Amino acid sequence: MKEKEVSGNIRENEAYIRQRCENCADILIRPMTLGELRKTECLLVFIEGTLSNVMLEDSALGKLLGYFQELSPDQMRKTLRGNGLGIADVEELSGMEEALLAMLAGNAVFFMDGYSRALKISGKGYPDMGVSEVESEKVLRGSKEGFSDSVKTSSALIRKRIRDTRLKVEEREIGVRSHTTLQLLYVEDLVHPRLLLEIRERLETFEIDGILDSGMLEQLTEEAWYSPFPQYQTTERPDRAAQELLNGKAVLLCDNSPVALILPGAFSGFMESSEDWYNRFEVVSFLRALRYLAMGVAMLLPGLYLAVIRFHTQILPVNLILSFAQAREGVPFSSVAELVFLELAFELIREAGVRVPGALGNAIGIVGGLIIGSAAVDANLVSPIVVMIVALTALGSLAIPNEEFSSAFRLLKYAFLFLGGYLGVFGLVLGSYLLISHLAGLLSFGIPYLVPFVEKEGDNWRESGGRIWRMPFRKRRFRPLYARKEENLRLRRRKDGKG
Amino acid sequence: MRFAENNRISHRQLYRQLLLAFLPPFLLCVTGKSWFGGWGGILGLAAALGLLLFYRIFLIRLAPACGALLKTAGGPAGWGIGLFFLVYVILTGAYLLAVLGEIVPQSLLTGVSGRWISFWAAAVCCVGTHRGMQRRGRMAEVSGMIFLGGIFLMMVLCLGQVRISSLAEGLGEPELSVESFLAGSYGFLCAFSGVSLLPFAMKEVEKQGSTGKTMTKALLTAGGILLGMQLLLPAVFGGKRLAAEEYPILPLLSGADLPGNVLARFDVIWMGLVLYGILFSLGSLLHYGSQLLRQLFPGNPQVQPLPFRLAPAGLALLMFAFSLAEIRGNGIRDYYESYLAFVFVPVLLLAQVFLSVRNRGKRKRRRLGAGIAMLLGVSMFLGGCAAVEPENRNYPLALGVDWDGENLTLSYGMPDLPEATGQEKTEENGISLLSLSGVDFEEIEAAYSRSQEKILDMGHLEVLILGEPVLGDKVWERVLEYLKEEPSVGEDVYVFRSAGAREVLSWDGARDTSVGEYITGMLENPAGREEKASVTLREVYYAWYESGTLPELPEISVQGDLLVLEEALTAVSDRDGEEKETASLLAWWGTLYPEFCFAESSGSSSAGKTGNSERPENVKFSFWLAQIFK
Repeated sequence: MKEKEVSGNIRENEAYIRQRCENCADILIRPMTLGELRKTECLLVFIEGTLSNVMLEDSALGKLLGYFQELSPDQMRKTLRGNGLGIADVEELSGMEEALLAMLAGNAVFFMDGYSRALKISGKGYPDMGVSEVESEKVLRGSKEGFSDSVKTSSALIRKRIRDTRLKVEEREIGVRSHTTLQLLYVEDLVHPRLLLEIRERLETFEIDGILDSGMLEQLTEEAWYSPFPQYQTTERPDRAAQELLNGKAVLLCDNSPVALILPGAFSGFMESSEDWYNRFEVVSFLRALRYLAMGVAMLLPGLYLAVIRFHTQILPVNLILSFAQAREGVPFSSVAELVFLELAFELIREAGVRVPGALGNAIGIVGGLIIGSAAVDANLVSPIVVMIVALTALGSLAIPNEEFSSAFRLLKYAFLFLGGYLGVFGLVLGSYLLISHLAGLLSFGIPYLVPFVEKEGDNWRESGGRIWRMPFRKRRFRPLYARKEENLRLRRRKDGKG
Repeated sequence: MRFAENNRISHRQLYRQLLLAFLPPFLLCVTGKSWFGGWGGILGLAAALGLLLFYRIFLIRLAPACGALLKTAGGPAGWGIGLFFLVYVILTGAYLLAVLGEIVPQSLLTGVSGRWISFWAAAVCCVGTHRGMQRRGRMAEVSGMIFLGGIFLMMVLCLGQVRISSLAEGLGEPELSVESFLAGSYGFLCAFSGVSLLPFAMKEVEKQGSTGKTMTKALLTAGGILLGMQLLLPAVFGGKRLAAEEYPILPLLSGADLPGNVLARFDVIWMGLVLYGILFSLGSLLHYGSQLLRQLFPGNPQVQPLPFRLAPAGLALLMFAFSLAEIRGNGIRDYYESYLAFVFVPVLLLAQVFLSVRNRGKRKRRRLGAGIAMLLGVSMFLGGCAAVEPENRNYPLALGVDWDGENLTLSYGMPDLPEATGQEKTEENGISLLSLSGVDFEEIEAAYSRSQEKILDMGHLEVLILGEPVLGDKVWERVLEYLKEEPSVGEDVYVFRSAGAREVLSWDGARDTSVGEYITGMLENPAGREEKASVTLREVYYAWYESGTLPELPEISVQGDLLVLEEALTAVSDRDGEEKETASLLAWWGTLYPEFCFAESSGSSSAGKTGNSERPENVKFSFWLAQIFK
């Protein structure tokens, strides 16, 4: 169907807009007469709340309207055509649909009688929270800025860090009803063209009514949708996104979501924190090793505990197994049921703590952790050692920097718990085999999920420091394998000795 | 993307795959073979490796022919060769499953049916094996070095148990002869027969022309580890015991100590590592089986129709069925080796020679998946749960064995839980002694089952005390056989002799702990450790297998309110080569540990032979004073 063009007759345009926007109380259609002798009919369409007072002197729109007060229609058309007022963000639109979409995106759309174009003029846009402190990836060293709900603000925060025209920002809309703005960011000469091609293809492979958060986008475009492991790295930190762009990855920003997607994702990336690159390498390497240990604890500890106490007691020193046995005296449930019960109780506490407001959430954590745990032990519902196992497991999962990644291990913990509880070490070996097999089969945009642990000869991971050991900065000469081969040199010493 | 552009596995991934697929079955199955040990085995290994290094060149050249089997060999011949390889894959997998089904219930999960173990292993291994070599390459890459590190660690930890005399003796068994050399060579060649499958995967390896170096490295690494085992196993077990053990790798670590004593035993962890390797080997066999099927039913390589996706499951099912099948009472473990030696290896070679000459290739699914997952989940519980909670176990720390000429009496010295854990201090005695008699161990076990509410967990046994009549009437052999049957009993258990084992275990002087712990504490107390010679179960086994006798055991007895430990008579050589008898050191530990005293007995003590009748009770020193006098 052919799109309706903007008419030179303003009444026709107004009728069309009024028909399309019937019962939309938030959309304001303001006819006005401007110009010499107030004879030129104009129309301003915008969403309530997206524009400040249009007559304000410091608003572009206010200045435009003020300027038009004394002009003849011809002069007005000339001014519009040539952007005579030098308004920064202004665009001529020829179709009515285009004009409506521009208005729905939070801009004002200006029509003038006798001028068969509409003018999109930016206002303050939809309300948002602005730049706020990042919540989920807190660091001691490094920027405190976090992405905003507005995609424009988010991309500006990245641009602020990479002030180079080779940083490209491709914008598109997704969602046939939501018209959500997406931005694909990449550094032109670093990103591999096939990665961009693949991302664009995947974004076009589906049609959906609305995308309300980057999480929806993530799930729609992942290769292995059934996997509990996230295949895209997510971040709320502009510095992390900028760092990954310099590694040759691409970043996908979604309007209304403060979480950016970094493509492709890799196992090791989820175990990194952005301050890994700001602190000294020895400490960071130690912390990374600790996180991997935490990952093992978060996933395996309950299963291992059950395997040992139910099947392989000979592993433990005699005093320890006797303590365990004594501690369990009088507990009415099997150790599997006991552990599942307490793990679920912890998940409940965690969930409740997340949902309720700040101070109350903390209180729930303390009440849950201390009082319920202690009461459960006193009531002989669980043994003290199980409380410790659950607490250590919880600490392990909290030490993993990425919440979604950590959730995968929290989930797998239950599988290992049953395997260890009913099949002992054999069960744990079966589970580990399946897990490694699954992870080895995962790909993120063609890149194996387990890089850099499955690097090939000639790849630069060893030098890029993406493994557990973080290379000293001076040794980090090459970009990881995501970047184009011809641009893989990241750091070099100047021949004149400067820098 | 560089990875996406190149879907082949790297040489390092191939190397690790080879190690991970070959080493676990070798360590588990080959080390127990009669041709494995001795000089014949060592020279046989060297010869086999030499031949394999030539064979690998042949295999690399064969890769294009195997990549297009039907095209190269022609329809019927190609089908014949393909099916033969497939049978080899299935029977090898069945053999591994049968071995798993035997060793896991014996050594790891007592009480769970071996069939279920095999079933779970087959079910897990078939997941995702059709998905290309890259996946297996990555799996091997992330876990291969951990496995290799585990093997090296195990070998290092076992070094402490090595006896040079045993090694020299073990290398002579079997005696070096042409037969033993040939048997060793052919045995190792048969063991390495799996490399004949490599040409089918070679097209998925990058720079396949230069894979020879990688294969050499893998063969030499595997060979080096096997050589290490050929030296380590006889040095730890002795030749005779090695010959008697079917899977000697399993008890290898049961007598080793981890530095720092963080864990009491870690052979379970080692077994877990070996099991992972076996699963990987099974997965590799399934992968090659799927590849063979694809060769026999060529289609679009980009499309994987459902039958091919299900192929690993079908193959796994066949492997499982063959692992259970018995012909006249013989299972696959009985006949596989003969098939391998007399059918598979010769015919595989012939088939490859033939190829070489010719060379010159949604919804329903979701429901099905969910159903299978549910079935597997349920099967975990159907396997018969053998788990027992820790509070439902009895942990005898000391075991006394007495014999009255007709009946055996087993006395279990068990700690009283509140006392032992210090969670409930009482003034009562912490000893909990259970004595059961019967004509044999089965009767005693039956009596235990009838009378006790908790199961017997022998995994923490620390002390074994054999009564004098047990030693006299050769009943001790029955005791050792019984203990060998108990997989959880470690080989680091201290063994003593006593006039009355029950009397020792009834001793009530160890107020804060049990007798077993008390005696272990005495022996392992760092102070004066060098004076306290002890005999462990491993040493007892060693002497038993080697000479059919028992080593001299230290004697333990109760004198009044004291527990008295007397060393075995030991002979050491001085620098001049003259043998001199060391003075037996008598140690009395008072009732309030560690308030103990030492006394030096006369040089002519007949300690370890006659008991405690000649103790000079009037001479007592404090421990430190005794140190000074020494």
